[in-house]
Amino acid sequence: MFRTTIAGLLAHRLRLLLTSLAIILGVGFIAGTFVLTDTIDAGFSQSFTAAADKIDVAVRAKDEENPLPPSLLAKVGAIAGVKDAQPIVSGEAALIGKDGKTVGELVTAGVSFPSYRMDLTSGKVPASDAEAVVDTSTARTQGFRIGDTIAVLDDKNARHEFRLVGTFDVGVDQSLAAHGAVAYTPATAMRMTGAKGYAEIDVTTAGPSRESLRTAIAAVAGSGATVQTGDELASDLAASNGASTEYLKVGLLMFGIVALLVAGLVIYNTFGILVAQRMRELALLRCIGATRRQVFGSIVLESAIVGLVSSVLGLGAGLGMGGLAVFLLDTFSPDVEVPTGTVTLSPQTIVIGLATGLIMTVVAALLPARQATKVAPVAALRTQTEEHTFRTGVVRIVFAALFGLAAAALTYMGVTAKPSETALMTVMAGGVLAFFTVLILGPVLVTPLSGLAGWLPGRLFGVPGRLATENSRRNPKRSATTTIALTIGVTLMTFMAVLTATMRATADQELDSQFPADYRVAAQTGDVPHAVAEALRGHPELATVAEFREAEGRLDDEDYPIGTVTSSVLETALRPKATSGSTDGFKPGTVMIADYVAEHLKIKVGDEVSVGTEKNATPLRVIAILDSESLLPSITVPEQFFDERFGKVDDSQILITAADGADQDKARAIVDDATQPYPAVKVASSTEIRSQFDDAIGGILSVITGLLGLAIVISLLGIANTLSLSVHERTRESALLRALGLKRGQLRGMLTIEALILGLVGALVGTVLGIVYGWAATTTISESVSFRLPVGQVLLFIAASGLAGVLAAVLPARRAARTSIVGSLASD
Amino acid sequence: MTTITSVRSAVTAQGLTKVYGTGDAAVHALRGIDVGFATGAFTAIMGPSGSGKSTLMHCLAGLDSVTDGHVSIGDVEITRLNDKRLTLLRRERVGFIFQAFNLLPTLTAEQNILLPLQIAGRQADQALFDRVIDTVGLRDRLRHKPSQLSGGQQQRVAVARALISKPEVIFADEPTGNLDSRSGAEVLSFLRTSVRELGQTIVMVTHDPVAASYADRVVFLRDGLLVREIEQPTPQTVLDTLVALEA
Ligand SMILES: Nc1ncnc2c1ncn2[C@@H]1O[C@H](COP(=O)(O)OP(=O)(O)OP(=O)(O)O)[C@@H](O)[C@H]1O
Ligand SMILES: [Mg+2]
Repeated sequence: MFRTTIAGLLAHRLRLLLTSLAIILGVGFIAGTFVLTDTIDAGFSQSFTAAADKIDVAVRAKDEENPLPPSLLAKVGAIAGVKDAQPIVSGEAALIGKDGKTVGELVTAGVSFPSYRMDLTSGKVPASDAEAVVDTSTARTQGFRIGDTIAVLDDKNARHEFRLVGTFDVGVDQSLAAHGAVAYTPATAMRMTGAKGYAEIDVTTAGPSRESLRTAIAAVAGSGATVQTGDELASDLAASNGASTEYLKVGLLMFGIVALLVAGLVIYNTFGILVAQRMRELALLRCIGATRRQVFGSIVLESAIVGLVSSVLGLGAGLGMGGLAVFLLDTFSPDVEVPTGTVTLSPQTIVIGLATGLIMTVVAALLPARQATKVAPVAALRTQTEEHTFRTGVVRIVFAALFGLAAAALTYMGVTAKPSETALMTVMAGGVLAFFTVLILGPVLVTPLSGLAGWLPGRLFGVPGRLATENSRRNPKRSATTTIALTIGVTLMTFMAVLTATMRATADQELDSQFPADYRVAAQTGDVPHAVAEALRGHPELATVAEFREAEGRLDDEDYPIGTVTSSVLETALRPKATSGSTDGFKPGTVMIADYVAEHLKIKVGDEVSVGTEKNATPLRVIAILDSESLLPSITVPEQFFDERFGKVDDSQILITAADGADQDKARAIVDDATQPYPAVKVASSTEIRSQFDDAIGGILSVITGLLGLAIVISLLGIANTLSLSVHERTRESALLRALGLKRGQLRGMLTIEALILGLVGALVGTVLGIVYGWAATTTISESVSFRLPVGQVLLFIAASGLAGVLAAVLPARRAARTSIVGSLASD
Repeated sequence: MTTITSVRSAVTAQGLTKVYGTGDAAVHALRGIDVGFATGAFTAIMGPSGSGKSTLMHCLAGLDSVTDGHVSIGDVEITRLNDKRLTLLRRERVGFIFQAFNLLPTLTAEQNILLPLQIAGRQADQALFDRVIDTVGLRDRLRHKPSQLSGGQQQRVAVARALISKPEVIFADEPTGNLDSRSGAEVLSFLRTSVRELGQTIVMVTHDPVAASYADRVVFLRDGLLVREIEQPTPQTVLDTLVALEA
């Protein structure tokens, strides 16, 4: 039996090629994920080891809020055996760019130099109060050169100037890389950032072992410090970083599993077809005495060999994909410092890759193998192969009904429940069940659907079109499995498209209602000086200037920030949403409270609460509970009351609307001018915010679409596979049609249309599922979603699926058209 | 061989040679055959297995390329046509009946019969359709799929399909090879009737002396050469000739 299996494999190697490709891609993706994350992990631990290599003992503050006291440095330095003790200061000090504004979205970090953890890349170490170095990436993007004067705001927003004497590499510190960093002498760094002490003290030894030095230092370090050897520090840092690659791994593996699922369907279908085509062969084997078990075993063995060989190739593909991803990361994202080690396949990756590929292939082949054992030996004696007549069985209907009902019930429950994560999970579970319902009903659905999808081609292309439609529904089970593989990818893509379109629309709507302003002025550090608002008032181009202020205060004996907003604009420009009560009667003696605060303190509209400072609180009546998404301070009091209690407080932000019909450029220029003197005060426009949000969402969507693309590619392999197997099966028919006068092109066209129909059917089911569950999911996210159907995108998915089907048909169609008529007529 | 030029021929071959493979593996299936098939006549091709009957028929029908020589259908020399023109010629002028797998399993009997016309984009002649259907006795089977028909019925559908487009010539390769003698006799009488009544030209390959006796003329092949022919055959004369050839 083993010999026959091998002979069969060799005979069908071409037919199995596409199947192998599906496994290779699936396993490759999974292995590639491991290769990528392993490489990044290895790179990190390498650089952590390298960084920590120079450090023998590190003293670290247990808690960022309570840094190591500066006096500790001298104590540690005085311990016998300590060669050098170097402090690390870490905090924030906003760097001012060439445009006079603070750099970037995040406040620039302020650190101390020299440091064992970071390397100077050019120039020299800052030696005096007047010198500083910046990180290479910031120097490049801002165009700073050695010798330039740079300006930095200290923690009180006072401006200081430094001479730039060098640049440095932030090394493995991801947060420094994200923020950008300026480094000073330790004393200057403490002054600029307002740090009360050191985040870390790094010690080198003059001779004693790391262990003994650690013990000695630990004796003086006190309870607020952790004392570690350099090796411990390295593994600590690597471990905290490993957590972040874990997310990447899990995220990517999800897509890998989808891809494998699709590959499983493709394999199931291929083995199903191969078994069907070999019925005679198998029956002959049974005639000459092979047992059912031997037939079953031979098919399973065949799948195991295919699975194993493909998985091994898949590991190679994974190494390639992982390596490519690493290369792309290195080449195209110089700003994201991802250290990468050498690309390798770890034993773990090899085991996981081989196991998933092998198990999936064998499991997918089990049903077809069982089918093969049912062949009656007499089948060998029949000349005309029987057409597969498919009848909808009772079992199928019962199962479909059960799954369908459960899916509908879960979905209904999720949609009608209050928006929450549980509701979302319920809907998702309903979605999975709905998918299984479609899977079970597939053969039943595919016949009418292909009639629908084939209607137009049938009209347009005459005989080839009509024959193609007939062919696509002649074996409903096969067509269903082929298309369902595509359905998975299309469903997920449509789902994501619906979700993001809805999120975008909802965010836009929210922006309109909650951010009814054209510009927002806020400070990167500290507050916006009141003078900015003064400068903005009195311009006809600006309709409203709303100042938001906040101060530490108390509400019913609990510490809460109390805030206010320019009262004149409350009715006109800002329309905060109240979950109960109304903002209309906002006048002295009243207060508005955010819903989460009200919930916490059990406050209702009409209650009296005491608001103010510890010494001076006043009872105010609650007139509205504000929606938590409202922009208003969580406890909003009238302006006059705020001024009386808290005095002149600077603005936390200013919202500005331009007058109707005003020149937008002029309005913007006024706002820019007013903020110009204050480097930390930055202007954002609602159009900018909107486009940033759109860009972010668009970016996410395209990454997800790209990752789902793999599942689509695998399902296309499935279509190509089914077609080429069908072509093989119908060699005789094709020859007959050619003999009867069908042109080569028409024969090719016939297969192309069949593939088009399969693609369209898969896409139709997928978009329907995706839209329904996209909608259901949006209802569980928030009550006030404005559902949006991205019609253009959905149509694009359908068209692309059809086109992809056509592409999948290119090779099989060419093969069908090329075979000689005489040879095919003679073939058995 | 004087008959070739005396009657107008639907199909003629001159110096027809077919070699499969090259060098040592070369098989000379046809070694220079001159033959003509008269319009409105029913001709049978006979010969031992491997003598080149199927090859001859495939070359005559333009299904296969020839190594040397000329073949004409009507006034068209098909050995000079490219694949596309050949396809069109088959559509318009040639009908086929094969030994098995004649029908598309997805189509009904009626759809199978009309298929060549639909491929050619032509309308069926309703009168001819009725006549053909009645001749082959398939009226109550038109809506059935091939899998629901017996072997004989399937062959009758194939005959009807070949007749419906009024081709210049119908090629049949062992059309009764898979049938029992009664169904075979039925199919053969339809073929003869269509020659008598519709003036159809038919060229049929067969092994069966009885089948050959339905023809007006039988030509005999051996080792790729045309070696004998008899007019107005009876089963006995055909059998005698075969026995003589084997010797
Ligand atoms: N594709 C091919 N390649 C090589 N040789 C071939 C091929 N087809 C036929 N032959 C050879 O050509 C010769 C004639 O074959 P052909 O099929 O025409 O015989 P036939 O008279 O139809 O036989 P049968 O009565 O068995 O059908 C045989 O020797 C056969 O082996
Ligand atoms: Mg033959």
